[in-house]
Amino acid sequence: MASVEEKIQVHLNDQLGGDAPQVQPIAKGKVFIQVEPSLLKGIVKGLIEKDELTGLIAITGVDLGDTIEVMHHLRTMETIFTIRTLVSKENPELETIIDLLPGANLHEKEVTDLMGVKFTGNLFDGHFLLSEAWPKDNFPLRKDAEIPSIDDLIKNPVVIDEPESIPGEEKYLNITIGPQHPALLEPERFQLHVEGEIVIGVTPRLGYVHRAVEKACESRTYMQDVYLVERICGICNACHVTTFCQSVENILGTEVPARGRYLRTIAAELNRIHSHMLLFGHAGLEIGFQTLFQYTWRDREAVMDLIEILTGNRVNMAYITLGGVRRDVTDTLKDRIRTDLAKLEQRMPFYKNLYENELSLRARLKGVGIISREDALKLCVVGPVARASGVKIDVRKDDPYAAYDEIPFNIVTYNDCDSLARLKIRVDEIYESIHIIDYALEHLPDGPIRVRVPRSVPAGEAVSRVEAPRGELFYYVKANGTQSPERVKVRTPTFANILSFVHMAKGINVADVPPAFVSLDPCFSCTDR
Amino acid sequence: MAKSSLVNWSRMKSPWILHFNSGACNGCDIEVVALLTPRYDVERFGIKLEPSPRHADVLITTGVVTTECADRLKRIYDQMPEPKFVVAIGACACSGGVFAGNYSVCGGVDKVVPVNAYIPGCPPKPEAMMDGVVKLLNSLKGPKTHGKRRGKDSSSPK
Repeated sequence: MASVEEKIQVHLNDQLGGDAPQVQPIAKGKVFIQVEPSLLKGIVKGLIEKDELTGLIAITGVDLGDTIEVMHHLRTMETIFTIRTLVSKENPELETIIDLLPGANLHEKEVTDLMGVKFTGNLFDGHFLLSEAWPKDNFPLRKDAEIPSIDDLIKNPVVIDEPESIPGEEKYLNITIGPQHPALLEPERFQLHVEGEIVIGVTPRLGYVHRAVEKACESRTYMQDVYLVERICGICNACHVTTFCQSVENILGTEVPARGRYLRTIAAELNRIHSHMLLFGHAGLEIGFQTLFQYTWRDREAVMDLIEILTGNRVNMAYITLGGVRRDVTDTLKDRIRTDLAKLEQRMPFYKNLYENELSLRARLKGVGIISREDALKLCVVGPVARASGVKIDVRKDDPYAAYDEIPFNIVTYNDCDSLARLKIRVDEIYESIHIIDYALEHLPDGPIRVRVPRSVPAGEAVSRVEAPRGELFYYVKANGTQSPERVKVRTPTFANILSFVHMAKGINVADVPPAFVSLDPCFSCTDR
Repeated sequence: MAKSSLVNWSRMKSPWILHFNSGACNGCDIEVVALLTPRYDVERFGIKLEPSPRHADVLITTGVVTTECADRLKRIYDQMPEPKFVVAIGACACSGGVFAGNYSVCGGVDKVVPVNAYIPGCPPKPEAMMDGVVKLLNSLKGPKTHGKRRGKDSSSPK
């Protein structure tokens, strides 16, 4: 993959002249550069001008002892390009890039909250993911952090005050949604600022489901981490495990056997079908269409059964593991999967017709929650949300993993940019997923399903990404030669998409908030980790 | 006696349930929602999912209790009218599960509110959840009427 390195090096040389930093490989096909903090912004700007699809994937902070390493992982020129900068631990400060990429906003806040790196221009009071009672100037992801006792944290609960006013906006009413609310299946708080019936702003408060997975990964072995990251999200668990395993396999240099890769693909696609159908039901609930909820969840049970007979459990599969997968498929099982999916495929025209022709659904969804293509790129949204705004990104094609490079399928995109398009795209993706599983079962190679991997992982680092049902899921893993990782960073697709809700809710009707929100397929257990 | 049996009977026949996720991975939550859908359909037992704590008899909680949610869970519990019951669903709600000991995790639900029934599993199957709720409801019958309805206990309603 020298071409990627060369391409970026040529671009940097053009922009910065002779003193351009040397581009180095970080993992298979992924590159990084080490720069001074002052150069960061200029390089990001240059990349955006060069490639319009450039977006921020994640910002990772790693505690190196005396210094903190901040990594901006960018999705650019068909690769992951990491810009490393070092900041001192006493006065960790960096310039914000939210004026170039507004989508970086939450990523920067997360690093500020957990790692203590301040981004000038994007400062905030209070906490972002941590509990409000958490002491100031205590950053849990630093290696020398002193963790306060849990009893102290919950003894004096801090009640978040309602904000008095948005600067410049004098007359408005606050509507608080959450943490416990019938429209939310998970605890999270959104404050809608409304003027009459029109929403003029949204203030989200994340962190109610923050379970400190990233920190916990550092104290457990790699095999334990497989089960831990699986429980970041019960809905897209197969994708979390795949991404984590790929990163570790990358560091180890392990090649997963072909049959294992195909079985991973099948598990991931079953996961996608069940997640999309779950969303249809959830969408039905939010827009007051109970029948749709009951219908889709009835059809979805067939997929849950397939997941159960393939992996042994309905929800958390524990199927994908380091080096491959844990169970093989038999011929009977193959036939069962094919027949059941064929039945599901026969049901799909019903849903397609529903979204295209059902008047009440269209009335609730058409033209609601617009994210234009330019905004989608700026906000760095991923997955179906980006594809419904005409941004053709799909990790399965852009950066193939598992067996996706050998399986033909299409990327579905829409240019309508509204909630209806975001739901329609998922109907089409279910079709594609069914065909992918059919193809994978048809062409399933023989051979072993897994290889054994050593318990200790040599020092190294890797980035890996996977197209989860909600979009691009990104992991950064740093190993230090022991049985536990040095740092695990998880950037989930919903975390990247949540800012687009704040953006699109501005100016819409209060009654349109639930359908607009649900079309993002929100999942806060992913968002908060 | 007769009055309280009637209240008990009605309580058992239509428990209203409030579902609160205090920090779950969604695995248990989607299974709780699956209970309402055609295959499991708990509404046939009179079980109804209720959005407001003030109308609920049974609080079903999923997931660990995060430090940020601990106070919210307690407040929701306090808002429920007596008598109230708490069912902890899943390994996390029972004991903290895989997240126990993390810096923002209090542990199981019983660290914050009293729990009447534990349903372990990661996540428990919907059948197990139904079984747990039915067991909880059966425990409401109390020792006096339980198994003595046919003639032996004259005070029980005919």
